[in-house]
Amino acid sequence: MSGNVYKPGYYTLLAVLSIALASCHDTIVSGIDPSDDLTRIPYNPIVYNVEMPADYPRLEQPQDNPMTVDGIRLGRKLFYDPILSVDSTISCGSCHSPSLSFTDGLSRSEGVNGTTPRGSMSLVNVGLHYHGLFWDGRASTLEEQALMPVEDPIEMAETWDRVEQKLRKHPDYPADFRKAFGIEAIPMIDRFLAAKAIAQFERSLISGGNTRYDRFIRGEIFLEENEQNGYLMFFDLNPNLVPDAECGHCHNAPLFASDGYFNNGLQESPDLLGFSDTGFGSISGLQSDNGKFKAPTLRNLVFTAPYMHDGRFTTLSEVIDHYSSGGKTSPTKSEFLYPLHFTESQKADLLAFLLTLTDSTTLTNPEFQNPF
Amino acid sequence: MKHLLFLLSGAILLGLTSCKKDVEEGTMTIHFKAVYDGQPLQTFTTHPFENGQQIEFTHLSMFVADLALTHQSSLEVLDDIELIDLSFENLASAEEGYTLELTGVPARTYDGITFGIGVPPDLNEKVPADFPSSNPLSKTSYYWVGWSSYIFQKTEGKLDTLGNSDPDLGFAIHTGSDALYTTLEGDPAITIQDGKNTNIDIVIDYKKILQGVDIKASPQNHNPNDIATITILVNNLPNAFSLFQ
Repeated sequence: MSGNVYKPGYYTLLAVLSIALASCHDTIVSGIDPSDDLTRIPYNPIVYNVEMPADYPRLEQPQDNPMTVDGIRLGRKLFYDPILSVDSTISCGSCHSPSLSFTDGLSRSEGVNGTTPRGSMSLVNVGLHYHGLFWDGRASTLEEQALMPVEDPIEMAETWDRVEQKLRKHPDYPADFRKAFGIEAIPMIDRFLAAKAIAQFERSLISGGNTRYDRFIRGEIFLEENEQNGYLMFFDLNPNLVPDAECGHCHNAPLFASDGYFNNGLQESPDLLGFSDTGFGSISGLQSDNGKFKAPTLRNLVFTAPYMHDGRFTTLSEVIDHYSSGGKTSPTKSEFLYPLHFTESQKADLLAFLLTLTDSTTLTNPEFQNPF
Repeated sequence: MKHLLFLLSGAILLGLTSCKKDVEEGTMTIHFKAVYDGQPLQTFTTHPFENGQQIEFTHLSMFVADLALTHQSSLEVLDDIELIDLSFENLASAEEGYTLELTGVPARTYDGITFGIGVPPDLNEKVPADFPSSNPLSKTSYYWVGWSSYIFQKTEGKLDTLGNSDPDLGFAIHTGSDALYTTLEGDPAITIQDGKNTNIDIVIDYKKILQGVDIKASPQNHNPNDIATITILVNNLPNAFSLFQ
């Protein structure tokens, strides 16, 4: 999917606003060092209208951070610019590459100071996740999330104070921030505007709508028999014909993700306190949430190996074997994980269905690529 | 000038008078409390179940819809839809329950209270993507494609089927589908006073909810063609709910 510009009536409003802004110029910016003055650069925000698959939830945007063409353009630059890291080696895109559906192919991501405790999550459709971000849900919004990796001692190990200085001294970014947010002077560039821009870009990463699954749901194509069997297993649609694979509880359509957090049987624990990675429990403060993690989207999962929060499974077949086994025992393990004893044929059917969620256009969408 | 002052004072007085609200209103606080055999229900603690088995709950929740006070033949609808999460891991939280605060309730004495357990058919024909993220009906984890229905009620936990204090069977009993939407009514007089709060406890006994449910035989129940187990559970609801003021 791609974005386009929403025009009707907007230019008139912008023109009026621009004129009003221009007429206020002398009073607003008086006292600003002329070398910091950005008001000579036009500020003409154009609303970015995201094309959404019809059955997707509405893309909600914060009132103070509506998506604009220049906002997304700036966010995309910041996303791929290693300027955010302490030694200018790591960008957001280092761990979220479009060629891997915005993951990095590693079991645990590499930061400037070593290996992170968990793997990178795919960012496709991340703007539609309204109930927590990261594996443990520690960020409520994309704006909040975008602030975190910069000061993480492993990931980017930088300080926002220094990033703000680098952005203010940069030959291009001051003009970019002016175009994106209408700031009047260079010192107004700050971490919060940078995070807003990155969040805008991330909201634009819509994927899906024309996968085999989507076209099947719209009645445009038939699935192959094995894909169809896998579909029935995934959503338990015909238990008289195929077994319930219990997948849809945590990976529900249309995003094949969930608003909830689940323990999918990766850690053995005799009690609520025995988890080596407590996940969501460390954020909610509830022992009953220990061992639970966000259920990631399964869209494009063929590109997002290795799997699970710690990347322990290299292939999708290993993932299916894990769920077929019922996983490891612990008090918070989902009640939907129990030995399912799939046959090899049933595993193959399930895998065939999962591959119908592939949208390879996301990987090459020019609007998502590194602009540098 | 003097006349002008009088006129101005009169206008201010008139304005102040007109600011006085016409309708007297109060607030109502409802505490939904899960109990098991009358005792506050904590998750991850065991309770005696049927046939010597022990049961522990890991998640309890339900949609409450069209919550209204009844007055003669009319309804004062207070809340369209609410997701009531009754999963509490500590005793104090279990005793407090899920709190629902309702404001702007017209002051009078009502004949009773009514609400549905589940999602009413007009809303149940929609899907989570139809709702903004602030609406509980946006939650995809409460929608089951196989039923083309929201999950009305989740009762999840583990059963010690061998009676050796080792819960060996996970269960997840979910209800849903239009046919199982249930309306409950209570007829205690409820008085709402102007400017005051009225407290109500709605207590749900899960021992009564699960009475006659063969968990061991049917620990999961998402077969769209087999609703026998969850029908038993839904039929138990009227007997499992109590209201206290």
